[in-house]
Order: sequence, then C-alpha cells, then structure tokens
Amino acid sequence: MIRIFFATDVHGSDICWRKFLNAGAFYQADVLILGGDMTGKALVPITQQSDGSYKATLLQQEFHLKDESEVAEMERRVGSRGYYPFRVSPEQLAEFQSEPAKVDAFFHDKMLTLLEEWMALADERLDGSGRLCFVCPGNDDAPQTDQVISRSSHVRLAEGQAIELGEGFLMLSCGWSNITPWKTYRELPEPELAAKIEAMIPHDGDMRRTVFNLHCPPYGSNLDEAPEVDELLNVKDAGRALIPVGSTAVRQAILKHQPLLSLHGHIHEGKGVARLGKTLAINPGSLYEQGVLQGAVVELDLKKGIRSYTLTTG
Amino acid sequence: MSEASLFVRKATGLVRSWSVFDAFIYAFFSINLVTLGLYIISQMYFFEGGLVPAMVVSGVIILAECVVYAGLIAVMPRAGGDYVWQSRILGGFVGFVLAVTGWWFILWLWTPLYADMLRHIFFVPILGVLGLKNLALDVAWNPHWWMAVVVITLIFVSVVIALGMKAYARVQKFCFWVGNAGLLVVCLMLLFSNNANFRAGLEANAGQLFGAAPGVYEATMAAGAEAGGVTPLFGGTLTAIFLLMPFLVFFNLWPNWGATLYGEVKGADDFKRNLAGMAWALIATTVLGVIFFLLVNKTMTWDFLRNANAAYWNFRWGYTAVAPPLNIWPYPALLAVFTTSSRLLQLVVMLAMSMWFFGWAGTVFLSSTRVIFAAAFDRILPERAASVEPRTRTPIWALILMVVPGLIVSYLFVYDVANFKSLTLASTLVIAVTYLGSTIAAILLPYIKKDLYNASPIAKYKVLGIPLISVCGVIFGAFLVFLLYQWLVDPNLLYGLVYFYNEAGERTTNLTSLIFMGAMYLLAVVIYLVARSVRKSQGVDLRIVYKEIPAE
Repeated sequence: MIRIFFATDVHGSDICWRKFLNAGAFYQADVLILGGDMTGKALVPITQQSDGSYKATLLQQEFHLKDESEVAEMERRVGSRGYYPFRVSPEQLAEFQSEPAKVDAFFHDKMLTLLEEWMALADERLDGSGRLCFVCPGNDDAPQTDQVISRSSHVRLAEGQAIELGEGFLMLSCGWSNITPWKTYRELPEPELAAKIEAMIPHDGDMRRTVFNLHCPPYGSNLDEAPEVDELLNVKDAGRALIPVGSTAVRQAILKHQPLLSLHGHIHEGKGVARLGKTLAINPGSLYEQGVLQGAVVELDLKKGIRSYTLTTG
Repeated sequence: MSEASLFVRKATGLVRSWSVFDAFIYAFFSINLVTLGLYIISQMYFFEGGLVPAMVVSGVIILAECVVYAGLIAVMPRAGGDYVWQSRILGGFVGFVLAVTGWWFILWLWTPLYADMLRHIFFVPILGVLGLKNLALDVAWNPHWWMAVVVITLIFVSVVIALGMKAYARVQKFCFWVGNAGLLVVCLMLLFSNNANFRAGLEANAGQLFGAAPGVYEATMAAGAEAGGVTPLFGGTLTAIFLLMPFLVFFNLWPNWGATLYGEVKGADDFKRNLAGMAWALIATTVLGVIFFLLVNKTMTWDFLRNANAAYWNFRWGYTAVAPPLNIWPYPALLAVFTTSSRLLQLVVMLAMSMWFFGWAGTVFLSSTRVIFAAAFDRILPERAASVEPRTRTPIWALILMVVPGLIVSYLFVYDVANFKSLTLASTLVIAVTYLGSTIAAILLPYIKKDLYNASPIAKYKVLGIPLISVCGVIFGAFLVFLLYQWLVDPNLLYGLVYFYNEAGERTTNLTSLIFMGAMYLLAVVIYLVARSVRKSQGVDLRIVYKEIPAE
C-alpha cells in the first residue's frame, strides 16, 4: 500500500509550500503530489519614503513600516498570501507604472526566483526522507517553471509524463486547462486538450493501477463549480450563480479509460469528490490566500484499489 | 496618476467585482418582513414592550452580527461557512455538531412553518378573493390541507435545488421587484385610506370572502382584549422591550443567511461590500417594517391588528374554544386590500405579495445541502450523501436527508403530536446556538489563529486596540446569551420552550421541546462518534481533517 498526499493551487503562498513539504511527515505519506498553479498572481511594492521608512498596501490597507524588522515582517505577510513583495524607490515605481512591459519582465523574474528558492527548500527538507515529490505546473504557471523544477534534485517534474508512484501504480499528469476568460499560459481548446491527454495514456496500461493528475477538473462533476462572471469579469449574482467550468475533454478521458483515481485542482471553490464510473475524482480546493493548505490523503492498495481517502484542511 | 500599490498579472480567478445590490437582495429576502416578520409579530401580542423600539434596538444589535459574519467571510472565504470556521478554530467535533444541528436538522422544523406561511399569505387570500370561500377556510384551518401545503413547499424547494442557484437568483430578482411593488401598493392603500373606510371594507370583504359575522371589527377588538392582547406599538421599559426579542429574532436574525464570498479577496473592499449587503438589508427591512406598522396604525390601527392576532392565536393555541371573529390569520396585506372593492386589484396585489414567499423559500435547504456535502467530504457522512444525479445534477441523497425528516417533523407539528405546536421558537434557538459557536470562534480568531487573522483584510480594524471582530463578537455573543437565557430559563414564562402554562393554567415543563432539541444534539454527537469509529476501522483518522500542518 502507498499513501499519497495531494495538494494544488498554492499560487505563490510561501506558507502553503512549507506546509506541503511537511505534509509527508504530518500525514505519513510516501508520495507528495502538487497539482499545479504554483506561482503567484500579484506583486506588492514596498516603497521607500524620503525619511528612510517604507510604505506598503496589502489588501487595500496601507502600512507605514518604520524599520527593517517591520519591513521584513511585511514581506513575510505578503509572501504568505501568495504575493511577491519587492522593495522599490518612488522613481522605480513610477517607471513600472508607465512601462507595463517592465512589470511583466520583473514579475516573471520574481516568479522564477521564488520557485528556485522553493526548490532549494524542498531539496533541503526532503533530503533523506525517502519520500517522492512530484509537481505538475498548471495553467497559471509560465513555461519556464518546468526548467526550474527540473533542476531540483528531490522534486520531479510530472508534466506530460507517465510516472511510477511505487507498487505498480502509474501517474499521468497534465497541467493544461481548457480555455478560460483569463488567457493564461497553458490553455487549449477541448479537442487539443483531449489529444494531449490521450497521447499520455499507455496502450497496455492497467487503468485500475493508474492515477490521473489533471489540473483541470472534469466538466459537470461538481468539482468544477465556479461563480459565473460576465464579459468584464465581474461576478454575477454576488457569486451565488455557480456554473460548471471544467473540461469536457478531461471528463471524456476519465469516462473512457476509468483510472482508479483522478486528481484535480484549478477551481478553488470546487472542493469535493465525485465518482465518474469506477473512478474516484478529487478536487481538494484551495485556500492558499489564507495560508491554509487543503489537500487529500489517499491510500492506494494493489488489491483493494483505493483503500481510503481523506480531504484535509491543514 | 496615483501611486500603484499592487501589480496583477493575468491569472485564473482574478475577478473584478460583484454587485452589493445582488447581495442585498439575498439578505433582504432572508430577513423577510412579509413572511417571517408578519408571521412571528402576529404571535407577539402579550408583551408590554413596544414593537417598534424592539425592532429598532434588535436591528442595531444585529448589525454586530453582520460585522462578525462579514469578518469571518473575509478571513476564510469560500470555506463553507459556520461548519468550517468552527471546525478550524474550535475543532472538528464542535464544528460538526453545531453546524449540522443549526444548518441541517433544525431546518426540518422550519418546513411546517414555511408551509404555514405559504397557506396564509398565498392560498387562503387567493382562494378567498377568487370566491372559493369554503375551500379557503378549509385550507386555513384543516391540518390535512396544511400537510398538503407542506408537500407543495417541499416540492418547490426540491425544484429550486435541482434548478440551482443560478436559475433561482434570477427568480429572486423578479420576486424582489414584484413583491416590493405589491408592498408599495399595500402601503399606498393604507396611506390613502382611513379607519372608517377600512372598517367598512373589512365588514364587507371579511363577510363576503370568508363568512365573518357582521360587526367583525368590534368583535375582534373585544376578542383580542379578552385574549390578553396588550403589546403596544411604542413605549415600554427597556426590559419589556428586550423581552420581545426572543420572538422577534425569528424574523431578523438572518441577514447573514448564505452570505459568502467568491473569487480572490482583493482587500478591505470585499469585507465592506459583504457587510454593506447584510447591513443595508437589515436597516432597510427595519425601516420598512416601522413604516409599514405606522401605516397599519394610521388606517386599521395597531390595536385592531394586535387584537385580531391575539384572538386568532389564542384560539389556535387552544387557550379558548371561541373561534376568532375574523376567522382567518390576520394577514395585514389582505386586510389592507379590503379597502378596495375591486376583486381584480385584490387578486393582483395578493399575487404580487406572494412573491415575498417564492423569492425566499427556495433557499431553506440550500445551507443544509452545503453542510451535508462538507460533512461527506470530511468523511463524517457517507460519500453517497454528497452524490449528485448525473443527468439533472440534483443532490438526490442530500435532498432525501432533508425532505424525509422534514415530512416527519411536519406531521408531528401539523397534527400537534405531544404538543409539538409549542416548538416554533426552537427553530430559532438551535440556529442561535450555532451562531454562538461561530461568534465565539470570531472572538477568539485574532488570538488563537494569529497568522490567519493577520493575513486577512480585517486585521487593521480595531476599537481601542481590540480587533473589531472580537468587539462585535462580544456584543452579538452577549445578545445571543441573553436570548438563550430567556428561551431556556424563561423566568417570566413567555416563550414556552421549557415551561408553559397548560390549558388549566398550571406551569408545566415542555418535555417535547427539551426532548426534540436534545435529540438533535444527541443525534449529531452519535453520528460523529460512529463516523469516527467506522473511519478508524477503515484507516481514516477524522482528527487529522482540520489539524493544521506546521509550516516550519
């Protein structure tokens, strides 16, 4: 029997990544899997003032930071929330505001730098633990994230690969999603996504010993319910009108091949489990902004299949 | 150009905003003046405190509840409400027991209450206006018809759940505008009529439509006085005013019902917008209620309405064998349309007013579905409880878990088995206990979950250095403790949940109420302990579900 811990959508939250690395010991899991969307969504400038102090705005609240310790604490708070803090002079800030291309390049650099730090931390913490750790970037992660992960000695890039989890269980991973209103890095129209998933599936594989790790949840599974937005990305009906936004390609792949387990993320509100035929599909959801690591502990058994599963709020 | 404080890239889920008005509509319906309000106020005829000050003072206190819940939502959005907040802060066992009793089990008791409101604000007036007098009276008094309306209510709610909130949100908007248009017409009728017109209209219409005997106004005033109708519209000591509140909160304790937040939390605006949706709904409903009862007082007089209510409930509760002269529930909107002789106008206004029910009732089991799903995902309930029928995407098992017990409890209530009719306020008490759990969690949050709190947009809101959520939590928590004391200790024997006067005028312990409420908590405890034992045998430790992983 092997015990896996699956989490997803940590979106740059430093505290969630640290919890993820500790989850193996905490839940006695043999394998750690991160389902995608590792990188953050926002940069928070911490602007130097003329008197040497700093100013930052987090969650629309302004903070005046008198000394280095307060600035460092603010950087920690910003990082815990999944945003990237950076110290800046008023002149540099004005330059960023007037040149969006510079912001994009800086953002990109920040994402990769933090990811490198995360990989270093993982190498340090997982060293000697005997645990396997797999990461499959999601639709919000830039293509270059793959190279950073590949350089880690203890974290293995799972994208597009069939990976042996142990005891004969195989994991197939795809971080791409169907088309979203946000036009992110890894999106494909449904037919192309279907082809991409299909291409990973071994012809002679035993599907009852196969785990799908597909970032996008299956359409209409209740794991994909998100608030409906209008064309300007305003939430309709104050968020009460939930609609399925998952992938039909993912659904068809699951129904056709019937893997033992299918792990998903992408829709943070979609926490839950669903049965699609013989397949148990799980989306643990995400509360990364709160520094809460939602996950799933699943025990895979050669005879029993899924011996047990538990959704966790860690 | 203002100084940038945040740079955002294109990423999934970064929504722009949402309408406070949409949130307002939902909260406005949750503290529904026409259904919950008129229904419970009609039962508050024997108090010495004034109705208007009680509405205003309780409304002001409940604003603290809005802050508490808007704060919890801002700290832990998309988290599943009270169940997750309490589980995370107070532990899984406490979270489960308080959430399932307050958001699921007790909703079974609300089913016959919803049905009672439906028959009195929809079926009876419509049938009466259509000239079907005998059928209207049968629906008004025959428990078999009440039970039939229970079934109709459950079918309506089930259809709403099957349709989903996306469709129902549209229905709610329609009902909001039509229902308020109906209320406006009712208010205008009261404004432009006078007591003489009203008395003439009552005499004519109550007789023609419902067979009331001539002299119904005077007879009602006398019967109400005989029944002990004394509650004034204004005045009363502060103590007397507060003693109305354990009844009144049946109506106005729910601005937070279903309050939620989706998308990324951008900051303090999200807290403020959620707070605004709830608080403005509470304020608007309170103001609307005050205006409505002032208009009632101007035209039909408050004393008449209160006495009509006293005569009605005194008979219905079995304290007298003399039927009320006005032989239906004194629905103020129906009484107001008696000032016109146009049957068509009466029909249109009654239909419009019924939208207050249809725009509201669909959400009765919505929270229950959410809690059942969350408990199943946490492995406390069987996985099947959260399963969804693939074709219609209806949560069949969750519906069964709500509808079947709802029918059983409705039967007990409708046919008054073992004095079940005395349990109306238990519907509020049990939810208040759940709210108290969340309120305690909110008070403690800044102190025992510092990182979580400090990472939230409400961390800077303080009063004299104390977190705002804790301050408001103490205010609202004290109010809940007061309510629970009055319901459970009931020193003045006003609420009937623990003690009541029997038909012989003797103080009696309400065993039915105690057993019913106790059984719900016991059931929750048993489910949790059985689940923990069963899951343990399957290798699942439920204690890890909400345990925080150390970051370092």
